Amino acid sequence: MSTIESDKTESKTVNFDETNLSPTRPSGDSENDGKIVFLLKAAGGAPILKKKKWALPRSKTIGHIVEFLKKYMQLDVEQQKQLFLYVNQTFAPAFDTTIGAVNDCFNSEGILVLHYTFTPAWG
Amino acid sequence: MSNSSIDDKDITRELWQSRLPICFILSDEDMSKVNRSESPEPLYLMLSRHSYFPCIIEKIFRYYSTYYKGNLNDQTNNINLNNLWLEYESIPLKWHYPIGLLYDLYTSSLSSSSSASHLPWQIIVHLSKFPENELIRFPDIESIEAHYMTTLKEADALKHKGQIIGDMQKRDHKQLWNSLLQDKYEAFWNINIKLMSYTDNLQYFRYIPFRIYILDKPFMQKLFSPYNIEQNKWLTLYDLLQYTLNHEVQCEKLANEKKFLNNNIENYRVIIHGVQPPLHSPIQWLSEYFSYPDNFLHICLIENQMR
Repeated sequence: MSTIESDKTESKTVNFDETNLSPTRPSGDSENDGKIVFLLKAAGGAPILKKKKWALPRSKTIGHIVEFLKKYMQLDVEQQKQLFLYVNQTFAPAFDTTIGAVNDCFNSEGILVLHYTFTPAWG
Repeated sequence: MSNSSIDDKDITRELWQSRLPICFILSDEDMSKVNRSESPEPLYLMLSRHSYFPCIIEKIFRYYSTYYKGNLNDQTNNINLNNLWLEYESIPLKWHYPIGLLYDLYTSSLSSSSSASHLPWQIIVHLSKFPENELIRFPDIESIEAHYMTTLKEADALKHKGQIIGDMQKRDHKQLWNSLLQDKYEAFWNINIKLMSYTDNLQYFRYIPFRIYILDKPFMQKLFSPYNIEQNKWLTLYDLLQYTLNHEVQCEKLANEKKFLNNNIENYRVIIHGVQPPLHSPIQWLSEYFSYPDNFLHICLIENQMR
């Protein structure tokens, strides 16, 4: 089997396309194209989202989610400066980490829980 | 895990002391803005493989800034520390990857010369035109420390459900980082040894902290236990690699990708800390003695060239 070219994964620009992030399909539908299902939970006084459950292709990065959240939550300039995304309420993965890698290691029964805060709540 | 603990410790000391000779060369673009009669000579530094470029960014900038006296805050020049970035073969180098990892991954895969030695490693220094879309700006020392600590926490989450690092005093965390910065092996391992112990009545880590890097792909990281209970045997580097590659291909299929990763190990050279460890090495041992100071095994897979 000859060497396979890599698929270009995450686009380098920060422009987000809202259609990339979709709430999960109705519970009866188990087909989600290998997308990662994750829950976004507020911590450290950050506003709570109405939509908590999301799905993204595994190649999307933590940085992509952070940039999306900053726009989606319509943060003011001060708040936009820092948004932290924590896994296990313990560590904040680097922005170029894929959600697939995080999910593979830290999902709980098929769902990955991420906490977002404006302050480094867990260091 | 091992019986000959004295010999194994020697390996950790060897790794700690390993250095890379690096030659920093100013980019042509920035060279043209120098306002002294002579151009800067290349800057040669011996850097620790397990350190990070931002730890010496100030040193590099101070060296080059003497050639721009009077220009430093000139808006048209954009020569300032914030705009400094490093490049190898047109690739902007990520600040948060250990120096040795960047060297192993890029020089083995990319160098146009086929010779074995790519030393000294030639890196281009840019002082302007920061590639905003590809790199985060080189942060300050506090940001790198935060990155190091969070990686350590992730490693401990995998090894011990975070119990050991959670129970450590803040001053122990500080000691790990400071000894890394100040190149103090003993001070580092006095604390790091605690992160290499076992919990929960296990004789090994719950899961191994590792990342696998292939050029032009995001790194792969999976849950992998170092011991197979049913078959009563220690799992090896080969087992870990095969599992990861197979799992990754499964994920690609589920995601309806058109092209798949090559999951044949024979297709790759496996490099950690610049060497090719035997593939039958027990992964528990590698995790204890061959990890980087962030407690992760950073493993490069270099595709064999077509002959």
